[in-house]
Amino acid sequence: MSRGRTYALLALAALLAGLLAAAAAHSVRWVRHAWLPPSGPIVYIPKTIDPNIEFWQVARQGVDAAAKELGVPVTVLGTAREKDIDGQIELVESAVGLHPRAIVLAANDYERLVPAARKVKNAGIPLIMVDSGINGRFADSLIATDNFEAGRQVGDALRRLVPAGSRVAVINYIQASANAQERENGVLSSLAEGDIAVEPTLYSDGLDDKAYELTRELLLRRPDLAGIAALNEPTADGAARAIEEAGAQGRVKLVGIDSSTSEIDYLEREVLQVIVVQKPFNMGYLAIKTAERASRGRKVEPLIRTGSAVITKADMYSRENQKLLFPFLSGQGDAGGGPAAGAVLSGEEPGEDRPYAGREAAGG
Amino acid sequence: MKVPRPFQFKSIHTSIALAFSLLILGTTLILSYNSYRLSKTSVTRNSIEYTTALVEQVRANVGTYVSNMDSISTLALSNGDLQKFLSEPLKTPESDRLAERIGAFFHSIVASRTDIASLLFVGSNGSVISDRTGAAVKDYTDLIGQEWYRQARAASGRIVLSSSHVEHLYPKEYRWVISLSRELAGDRPSDPSGVLLVDLNFNLIDDLCRQIRLGSRGYVFIVDGEGDLIYHPQQQIMFTELKSEDIPLILRSSDRTVAVRGGEPKNYTIRSTGFGWKIVGVTYPQELAGDKRKMQLASAQWGGVCLLVALGLSVLLSFTMTRPLKRLDARMKEVEKGDFDIRVEVTSPNEIGKLARTFNLMIGKIKELMNQRIRDEELKRSSEIKALQAQIRPHFLYNTLDSIIWMAESNKMAEVVQMATALSRLFRSSIGQGEEEVRLAVELEHVENYMKIQSMRYRGRFVYRIDVDPGLRDCRILRLVLQPLVENAIYHGLRSVEETGTIRIAARRDGDALELAVADDGVGMPPEQVRALLSDRRPQENGKGVGVLNVQQRIRLFYGAPYGLQFESEREEGTVARLRIPFRREGGPGSAKPSGPVRAEPSGPAAAAAEARQGGDEA
Repeated sequence: MSRGRTYALLALAALLAGLLAAAAAHSVRWVRHAWLPPSGPIVYIPKTIDPNIEFWQVARQGVDAAAKELGVPVTVLGTAREKDIDGQIELVESAVGLHPRAIVLAANDYERLVPAARKVKNAGIPLIMVDSGINGRFADSLIATDNFEAGRQVGDALRRLVPAGSRVAVINYIQASANAQERENGVLSSLAEGDIAVEPTLYSDGLDDKAYELTRELLLRRPDLAGIAALNEPTADGAARAIEEAGAQGRVKLVGIDSSTSEIDYLEREVLQVIVVQKPFNMGYLAIKTAERASRGRKVEPLIRTGSAVITKADMYSRENQKLLFPFLSGQGDAGGGPAAGAVLSGEEPGEDRPYAGREAAGG
Repeated sequence: MKVPRPFQFKSIHTSIALAFSLLILGTTLILSYNSYRLSKTSVTRNSIEYTTALVEQVRANVGTYVSNMDSISTLALSNGDLQKFLSEPLKTPESDRLAERIGAFFHSIVASRTDIASLLFVGSNGSVISDRTGAAVKDYTDLIGQEWYRQARAASGRIVLSSSHVEHLYPKEYRWVISLSRELAGDRPSDPSGVLLVDLNFNLIDDLCRQIRLGSRGYVFIVDGEGDLIYHPQQQIMFTELKSEDIPLILRSSDRTVAVRGGEPKNYTIRSTGFGWKIVGVTYPQELAGDKRKMQLASAQWGGVCLLVALGLSVLLSFTMTRPLKRLDARMKEVEKGDFDIRVEVTSPNEIGKLARTFNLMIGKIKELMNQRIRDEELKRSSEIKALQAQIRPHFLYNTLDSIIWMAESNKMAEVVQMATALSRLFRSSIGQGEEEVRLAVELEHVENYMKIQSMRYRGRFVYRIDVDPGLRDCRILRLVLQPLVENAIYHGLRSVEETGTIRIAARRDGDALELAVADDGVGMPPEQVRALLSDRRPQENGKGVGVLNVQQRIRLFYGAPYGLQFESEREEGTVARLRIPFRREGGPGSAKPSGPVRAEPSGPAAAAAEARQGGDEA
């Protein structure tokens, strides 16, 4: 065989090989996606599925929006009460049995959920923490508000509202919660920068009735009290109710965290002066998106801060703030029927995926 | 050392096939890509036209909807009770009754339409009438501070459309609506007036935008003149700013389809309504991917098929083109080996056909020249032989005549007669008919006469004997080959010996050869002399000794290399000259013509090699 012919054949062979390789690479990618998609649902375990806690309702809407957008089925498991830590541990353990592609968890306890999280980790299931993390590096990602910063925003607002030298109180919601602790630290660090006396921190256990009682007693005990920082939604509700009942609105400034319909009402009636809102919709939405990404073995950000905003009566209807205060979906009045534990949400096929918001928005 | 160059090929076949293949590959690729691109362009254009039509439909429907709402506002404002109510002072039974009737009227409008969230009239006199009779409405001062009110006042009678916003007319009720508000103005500024608010539900707009499908992921959204979102299917996600649309691009663009830069490629198809809203249809060019993949596949497939066919054709074509050339090449190789009877078939009238014809002509010419050369050689050879034979006669004649003269002087008349007779016989037998070959008997007779003459000349110094089987006497032999050998025996073997010598001539058959031996019992020769006998370079001694070499040359010329002379000599014992020639009988096969080297056609390298071998033997 002549040398020229050898070159020609080699060139042709190289050309063919190139074409074949390209085709093969293409089909391998296609085959892997077509035949080996990650299976199983994403299990989402919020702190509670209590329909009265609007924070988790809104987060759930974010979860649903992302589930629909991605076409991923989401199974929601949750306890009826936020304090039911054992119940949540059980749910996490049972979730592992569902062979989910990922688990999204809002931990009710910083320490006690650790063994359950370890089991998730050992089962090779991506774990995404939302709102509240746990002690240790078990999660692929934590999606949460910067609670210290939110606490500082509360403290700063309160300092602006009360005169120098006055006395304020901090009502936290739970002592063992890392989030609660960070918020409290934020508030206290801000207040320490002004000439303000701070009462020993009270704990409402996340119950508005208890917050109401605590506030009532506090108002009686400390008639000179100028302001209260209430560090979550039921606590702010309870405190506002007590202040209004005591006729102390305006005199005792109240700054709360999180928004609910009743908080907004108190804000409009000037019982509450400032609320610092988190972005639960973003949390839920980003948690599912991150979980889906992690389930495909992609790299995810270990920490995503969703941010918080300070809202007063004067600017609550501003173009920006009304978007934060009134979720487009729940504001339409159909947020009532909360999902039952174990309810399965099936995302539609990606090909038929329809944008999410409109239908719910339509329910006047 | 030759440096290999990648695009220099040894065969035209490869060059042509490769050139064609590359050409075809390039052409196919360009054509396939172009056809793919063209179909892609047309598909894209179709999709844009389709999307435009759909978005136009949404625009028309939304326009109709808004003008319906406008009619409703006109209907509500033209209500007679409302006019009357405004002119009445507040807090009278009459005004309460009217307010109740207007509220009921509003309620009936809202109840009959699902696309209206609420109707509210705020009068300049401080009155508030809502479709919800008896429901708590926010403070008057709060209401007139709201944007829809202020804007309607500022617009004095024209309708004002808000962007999507939270309606907060009723305590603890917050929902997202789009507001249409309109001032009811009196003729004079002092006349009682008011603002009517119609809150539009999203559901109708949602339906309008959702009922069209723009591919599987495309959607429609609406922005107002300031770029605020009126409606978006993912409104909440838009609000959280986790996603965004390129609003500035929409505001900049007129009604057309624009491509959005950054992020996933998508197209906005924009249509403006008369009231400042822009309807935007979003399509993903990627969604044509299904078709695109199909088109790519089809282009690739057909390109591949064309390529294969074309490659096959190019190989075939190059093969057909080069096959006659290869055949010509093979024929040339045969000619190289010496076959000049080869002819190439001329199959086509093209250049290769011409080449073949020329080749045939050339071979014919060469063959002719070869034959010519053979004839020339033959001629040359025979004339050489004749010349050599001619050398023998005068030499011998001279010697013999010398002897006769000498005998005559001595009056030995009887011997003179005897010798002259022998001489005359000798010549008779040797002249012949000019043939080169004679029967062995003739040659023996000739040499006998010669020996007779010589023995007389030397006065019985030697005797001779011829021992040849009569059966061999018919063999053919070149003329005058024995005589020089006898001459040599006499001169070098016997002349200087005192006693009587013997010369013996014998013949025998050795396979295909005839071997003749001329033996003497004379002094013999030293080996140098034996070797010198057949050497060209031997110095001529008075013209003597020429004979042996002459014989050798003639034998070689006539019969070819293996034949010839050989001497064996022993000092004081004698010398034997052996002559080998081909064994051929008179009248036997192949006897008609002399067979010798010339007969074997001296053509090409084989002949040259034979000559070279011959030369080597002689050296």
